[in-house]
Amino acid sequence: MKTRIAGLPREVNQIGRTPWPLTVLAYGLPTVFILIPLVSFLTYSFFWVKGTELHDSFQDLTFLNYVRIFTDQIYLPVLWRTTLLCLEVAVLTVFFGYPVAYFLASLQGRKKYVFLMLLLVPLLMSYVIKIYAIRSILGGNGFLNRFLMATGIIQEPLTLFVFNLNAVLLALTALLIPFAVLPIFLSLEKLPRNLLEASADLGASELQTFLRVVLPMSLPGVIAAASFVFVLAIGDFLTPQMVGGNSGFTFGRIVYSQFGTAYNWPFGSALSVLLCAVVIVAVVVGSRFGNKRGLA
Amino acid sequence: MKRLSLGRIGLGTLTGLVFVILYGPIFVPIISSFFTVKYGQVDWGNANLDAYALLINNDGILTALENTLLVGVSAVVLALILGCFLAMFYRFSQSPGRGFVQFIIFLPFLMPPIITGLALLIFFDDINFDRSLVTVIIGHTVFVLALVYRTILVRLQALGMNMIEASYDLGASGWQTFRLIILPNLKSALTGAAILAFALSFDETMITILVTGTDNTLPIRLWAMMRLGFTPDINALVAIILAFTTVLVLVAARQLIPKEFTAREA
Amino acid sequence: MTSRRLLLELKSVAKSFGATRVLDNVDLAVEDGEFITILGPSGSGKTTVLRMIGGFISPSAGEILLDGKDISELPINRRPFNTVFQDYALFPHMTVAGNVGYGLQIRGRPKAEIRKRVADALNLVHLAQFAERYPAQLSGGQRQRVALARAIICQPRLILLDEPLAALDVELRKQMQLFLKSIQREIKTTFLFVTHDQEEAIAMADRICVMNDGRIQQIGSPLDVYYRPQTEFVARFFGDNNLISGQLSATTGDARVINTGFGGLVCAIDGQPDVAAAAAGGNAYAVIRPESIQLGISSLDLDECENKVEATITAVEFSGATTLVRTMPQGSETELRVKLPSRADGTALPVGARVALGWRRIDSRLVPV
Repeated sequence: MKTRIAGLPREVNQIGRTPWPLTVLAYGLPTVFILIPLVSFLTYSFFWVKGTELHDSFQDLTFLNYVRIFTDQIYLPVLWRTTLLCLEVAVLTVFFGYPVAYFLASLQGRKKYVFLMLLLVPLLMSYVIKIYAIRSILGGNGFLNRFLMATGIIQEPLTLFVFNLNAVLLALTALLIPFAVLPIFLSLEKLPRNLLEASADLGASELQTFLRVVLPMSLPGVIAAASFVFVLAIGDFLTPQMVGGNSGFTFGRIVYSQFGTAYNWPFGSALSVLLCAVVIVAVVVGSRFGNKRGLA
Repeated sequence: MKRLSLGRIGLGTLTGLVFVILYGPIFVPIISSFFTVKYGQVDWGNANLDAYALLINNDGILTALENTLLVGVSAVVLALILGCFLAMFYRFSQSPGRGFVQFIIFLPFLMPPIITGLALLIFFDDINFDRSLVTVIIGHTVFVLALVYRTILVRLQALGMNMIEASYDLGASGWQTFRLIILPNLKSALTGAAILAFALSFDETMITILVTGTDNTLPIRLWAMMRLGFTPDINALVAIILAFTTVLVLVAARQLIPKEFTAREA
Repeated sequence: MTSRRLLLELKSVAKSFGATRVLDNVDLAVEDGEFITILGPSGSGKTTVLRMIGGFISPSAGEILLDGKDISELPINRRPFNTVFQDYALFPHMTVAGNVGYGLQIRGRPKAEIRKRVADALNLVHLAQFAERYPAQLSGGQRQRVALARAIICQPRLILLDEPLAALDVELRKQMQLFLKSIQREIKTTFLFVTHDQEEAIAMADRICVMNDGRIQQIGSPLDVYYRPQTEFVARFFGDNNLISGQLSATTGDARVINTGFGGLVCAIDGQPDVAAAAAGGNAYAVIRPESIQLGISSLDLDECENKVEATITAVEFSGATTLVRTMPQGSETELRVKLPSRADGTALPVGARVALGWRRIDSRLVPV
């Protein structure tokens, strides 16, 4: 190892002097294409629409949209319901995802990565097709109903899962399980093997080792998975549109409709800002929870 | 730890169930591409490639597929160049604000895609830039940039300063050092990132829907067809896409998986 | 000793990292064609000096002069020096030939010329048959030689070696020390070698620059720093040494008397004008190498020794080629250690025996406290 003077920085000032055009580019490009759109997005929420006229000059800045969100009876309840729904999705995906991640992590060698890759392949399949297929599976004539009838669990086809929030719940869960598996898998992988060996050495059974060592230490990964799924679910406007029908209205759909049929962009921006706020809160709460114990 | 205990069997079964849930929705169209399906009943005796024949003749779908590929390749190339540049900047410049730049780069990936899409939509409208394939390419680039950037940065940090100092010591300029020393050592990271980014872009629907113009990419086309119901050739398309994606993922895995695993098998 | 031309000069160079002073008032002149070693413990600043010359760090104060011109602001790639890094820093994606030829490739030399010069360089370091191998396939010693060849081929005016032998095992190290020395003599390029190993420095260097705490303690030939230390640190740094405290007394030409617990000792002070000028009564150490002390039954045996002391043997320790005899001089509480060549039939020195110790004036030196 290089005998370095402890605690002193390694100075490389003779190499790293970046020419100023490059610095401008490095700051400029992300700012123009990411930061500015986001900022203009935010300012848009303070404009307003009357009839078909868009009032978007600087004198027109107003809190109108936000007031409407909080006073109109529709929006906050839908946001609340959507948040709950997405929390349920997060819990479900983690519930299914953890055993899968654990199983994967316990595989040896090549098999581990092969299975992981197989898990990720469906993620990259066409989103629309997947949702369409899920809808047909859940439908009256679909696979699920025919399976349940064939095994005698039900007599009549269930419409429980068609075109409502339950359908959205099931669809989102099915779509997002891989996103839950990945962070949990990574945190299980990082667990030092010698901790497990130590636990066994001290007399714990595999179940006890799991409950007392593995589970607590993989908690950050679980929280990360839940936050990840939550964020993906809450912003999804396609799935509810396709399987939610008329009763499965999520917040995402409302936002999307402002840019489609309702055509009120400023209001849509305001709704999105609210959505962002919820997401930020979720992520912050999640990371606070996650960093308290276990491996960072 | 590979004992065949009750717990292990239970876990394996559950994993199997999950895989069924994941692959189920995909296999339905695939089976339908080889067999005719009527009212939920599969006609197992009649295997055929009619769906594939239909597909080849469907110009609309093929154009959409072309566009999707075009967007994917363009976005990946742009993301690679930008990601490389920005990762190099973060790693080597002493600029105080680079943490902030990195944060901005990560934003579109961390936020729900709907936000990114809407922000870009409003931006393009503000500057009166017509929506078209170009806007889609920009949207995809912004989306995958975080992934590409991070993959390259991690590899750059692993390289260490010694080799770079040695290159300078032997008389090389910054550009020569980048071309002859850094770039060759980034190869695997670049390839892996490119493939994953392409896969992400290929399937990206939400941002695309929001910023697309009149040209159709595949997800847009499929989305439009949703209302009317799908024609059989779509099933054939799904089968092809599945095969293609699986190959892509396996190739990417080869690039990004730690060499210890592949070497042990050799 | 042939007088050499001055190649490089560091004048009053200082370096601070934030509030930490790493180098202070460094004055160093490197002569053309010499093998100079910078020696010191961890944190002494020796690596900082090397990196500063190479251009990886810039000085906070002072000048670095090459041919009389200040090069402190010259970037790394424009300095006519090449470095052999401690971990070799070989390019893993290039073959040995590619690595060695890199410097020439950068300079745009024609391919045929590069091929030939690479072959010559590899022959010099006895690695000709490894030209097409990759660094990952070589042993530590082989990689080190590739790093050396890569540095030599560009014919720099100075080669900087940053503890290049630190990662090698003892046997290989000794071989490489001889090898490096012979290469240097053959190509006649100036070598600046940094190490913390004093034996290594003594074995290889024409001159040694001893550093501690960011300051230069002494610069001199191996014999100089070993037998004629000028500071307490240098006196203690090399091998085992006797340091006897006392007060300075009269000066007589090239020698000075110091009054110690066992009487006045005459010590040579040639080359130490500061010690000659120091006030009488001031504190100092008398420094005597254990191997320079002669041992006899009575003082009459030690004719040529100006300094004589009666002592009692307290311990005899056999350690292979030499035997260490610990003695307590009469009337003193400071131990005096004597190193004798061992004998197969043992040293007939019982513990408790009374002996006479003696040494010449040139065997004892003075260093300030």
